[in-house]
Parts: sequence; C-alpha cells; structure tokens
Amino acid sequence: MRSPSSLRQEFLKKWILGLQVCNSSKNMNVFERKKAIKLSADVAMASARNGKTCWSRALIVNASRNDNGKEFVEKILGSDYERQNKNSTMNRRTRCRKILKRSCTTIRKAMKRSTPSRPKVFAFSVAKKMIKKRTQLLKSVVPGGEFMDEVSLIEETLDYIISLRAQIDVMKSFANATEIENRKKDRQW
Amino acid sequence: MSSRRSRQSGSRISDDQIIELVSKLRQLLPEIRDRRPEKVSASKVLQETCNYIRSLHREVDDLSERLSQLLSTIDADSAEAAIIRSLIM
Repeated sequence: MRSPSSLRQEFLKKWILGLQVCNSSKNMNVFERKKAIKLSADVAMASARNGKTCWSRALIVNASRNDNGKEFVEKILGSDYERQNKNSTMNRRTRCRKILKRSCTTIRKAMKRSTPSRPKVFAFSVAKKMIKKRTQLLKSVVPGGEFMDEVSLIEETLDYIISLRAQIDVMKSFANATEIENRKKDRQW
Repeated sequence: MSSRRSRQSGSRISDDQIIELVSKLRQLLPEIRDRRPEKVSASKVLQETCNYIRSLHREVDDLSERLSQLLSTIDADSAEAAIIRSLIM
C-alpha cells in the first residue's frame, strides 16, 4: 500500500510548507518555535494520510481549533482543507459520538439483565476489565480514539504508529543535517 | 471504515480479527516482538502499545526542541535552503 519511504517523502514535502510558515515569523523565542515545529510536523504527518484514517482527521480538526494550528492546516492542506471540511468531519464526529453513546447505554442495559453471577465468570470478567482499562488508555493516546470501536482502534493504532515513526525518522535526519551544516559554518569562521 | 464490518457480524467482533490485529501490533512493538506469542496477553500488548506511543510522542517533543534551538542559531535563507536541498536529493 504505502511504503515507509513514500510516507516519509509525503511528510517531508508537507512539513517544509509548515516550516516556511514558521520561518516567516521571525520574532519567535525558542519555546514558541518548538511548539510551531511540533504542530507543523503533526499537521504534516496527518495530512500525508489524505483523510483516509480517523486519527489523521481528528488530529487536523484538533489542530484547527487555535489560530496557529489553523494557519498550518490551511498552508499544508491548502485546497484539500476546504474539501475535507465540506465532508462535514465535525458533523460526522458528533453523529458518531451520539450513536456510540446510545449503543453503549443499550449494551449496558442488556448486560445488566443477563449477567450470570457464577464464580467461573469472575476470572473472565476480571480479564475483560483489564482489557477495557487498557483499551481506554489506548483511546486516550490515539487522536480521535474515543470515537472508535475496538477493531478500528487497533487498525488506526497500527497506522498511527507507522506514521509517527516516519515523522521521527525525517525529523531526526533533518536535525542531524542541520547540525552538520551548523558545524561546517562554525569551522568557516 | 471498519465499523460497518463489526455491525455486520452482529454485536460480537470476530475473535480472529482481533487476534490478527493484535499480532500485527506486536510486530511493531520493540519490547515484546521477540517473545513467544503464548506468553504475551492481549492486555500486555495494549499496555506496551500505550507506552510505546507515549515514548514516540516524547521523542517528537525532544526533536522539536532540538530543531528549535538549531534553527534559531542559523541565519536566514541560504543555510536552510541548502539543508532542505540536500535532504530532498
């Protein structure tokens, strides 16, 4: 489907757009620049998925919530942003949330009626609780996780991890190259 | 996406589906990739996944900090253009 190197290239292309925005505003201190770099990297990573995954759409929606993020989203996604916005991501999210809430309450009511109170079930339910707890944790670290069912969550997590690794690879190469350039320049002086 | 798939199989999600996905996750996790499958529970995989994602987030954070300091010490266009050029080639 998508090779790691093509993912890295997609990310780099989009991240450069974001970095250009960073560099155009010259009066940033180190901390503000760090936040801008990180935000632009996340938006670039998400947009490299072209709206195909839930986590990437959620990340972009979250980033658009403040002015800085919105600037990156508009720069990096450009015309795609208008199109993806028109697909009413927000409406879908609120609809999904409502459907999820409704189905959770229905399932809870059904379980109350049919739960057997035998000791054999106890160990099984403890294991299930552990998995439930860990699943909740996973949902909190994956963007948009709270709206996903178990299967989607794992699929999205797989994709998210691969994208994060591509992001880190590129950022590392960039940092190393910048360092080498800096050292070269210092030697020239 | 796959929420339609789970709705088709009723309210129960296929165990095989989950086992397959969990094994794919295990392949990505550096901590438990090489351990025997029977010895690693799904709960452990989920926990390791969360830890791994958090460590990846921290790495992005550290790299952003490092880059911020590096980029603030080089001057404007020429050096950055050279770096970017060398990366794309």
